[in-house]
Amino acid sequence: MAGPTLSDDERRTLLRQRAVSRLLSPLWVPVFTAAMRWGLGWHIVDGDRVRERFARLRAESDAPLLICANHLTMYDSFAIEWALASPGYYLGDFGALAWNTPEKANFASTWWKRVIAYLLKCVPVERGSDRKSVARVLEKIRFLLERGETALIFPEGGRSRTGRVEMESAAYGVGRLVSSLPGCRVLCIYLRGEHQETWSKSPVRGERFRVLLESFEPKTDARGLRGSVDLSRQIVAKLVEMENAWFDDRK
Amino acid sequence: MEATEIQERVVKILTPYVKDQEALASVKAETNLLEDLKVNSARLVDVVLAFEDEFDIEIADEDVDTVNTVGDCVTLIGQKL
Repeated sequence: MAGPTLSDDERRTLLRQRAVSRLLSPLWVPVFTAAMRWGLGWHIVDGDRVRERFARLRAESDAPLLICANHLTMYDSFAIEWALASPGYYLGDFGALAWNTPEKANFASTWWKRVIAYLLKCVPVERGSDRKSVARVLEKIRFLLERGETALIFPEGGRSRTGRVEMESAAYGVGRLVSSLPGCRVLCIYLRGEHQETWSKSPVRGERFRVLLESFEPKTDARGLRGSVDLSRQIVAKLVEMENAWFDDRK
Repeated sequence: MEATEIQERVVKILTPYVKDQEALASVKAETNLLEDLKVNSARLVDVVLAFEDEFDIEIADEDVDTVNTVGDCVTLIGQKL
């Protein structure tokens, strides 16, 4: 990605964040998992199958792995991380715990939310900020993916206001990221609670999530911006396809 | 191609994406696409792709980062022609 270049200081900051998060992970990873499992009573349907597939994907190649998911609640990234692996797996393969790019305004207001975001490997993004700062966030994610880390991005850019994946909301940044990483694999995840009729702030207590996974390597012959847009649309189209399958499964 | 001609064609391309049509009437080089014309940031990419089609040019990903004002659009297109 011939965009902004990260300074040594920015690289060190990211690596420091990873190191601190890793050091404290034996404390916070089990706590978060327990909060979802027992505190909120959430359940991942057929969770073993999901975790087995993710572990296989991690093991089969060193190529960058970008997770792209649908987005319905503010807690989707928590549920996705939990669905993909057990606390024990993350402690052994900390790179598998995906970096996130949450909206800064969602957690910047209080110190404890900022601490959580730091530990959860978040790189904040400011909605409505100038494009150069968004490009810098993408560059940070690219740097991390190249180092074998995993990252989670919502290619629609925000929660689906219709409750369904919106093709026209495809943000091109995800395509830009993929085009800058040769061989980048995209793991599309469609996660939705059985009670999730439309978008909301959070899933209901006792929610049962059904998860679909599909990995692919998007390709395009188009170059430049058009190529990135094409890649983004392929990813969102895949999520639309998975959404249809998710609803078909429930019939 | 003259900058004024490029700007006229840029404004024509921008028109369907502009939410504040009044601001479009008094458009200048310094007019900001997002703040003044209220173009949806998610649609900015479509605008730039329309520039590619209209002027038969190719625009790189990172070029989009430089597009903030109408003048930026004119400069970018002028460089690519």
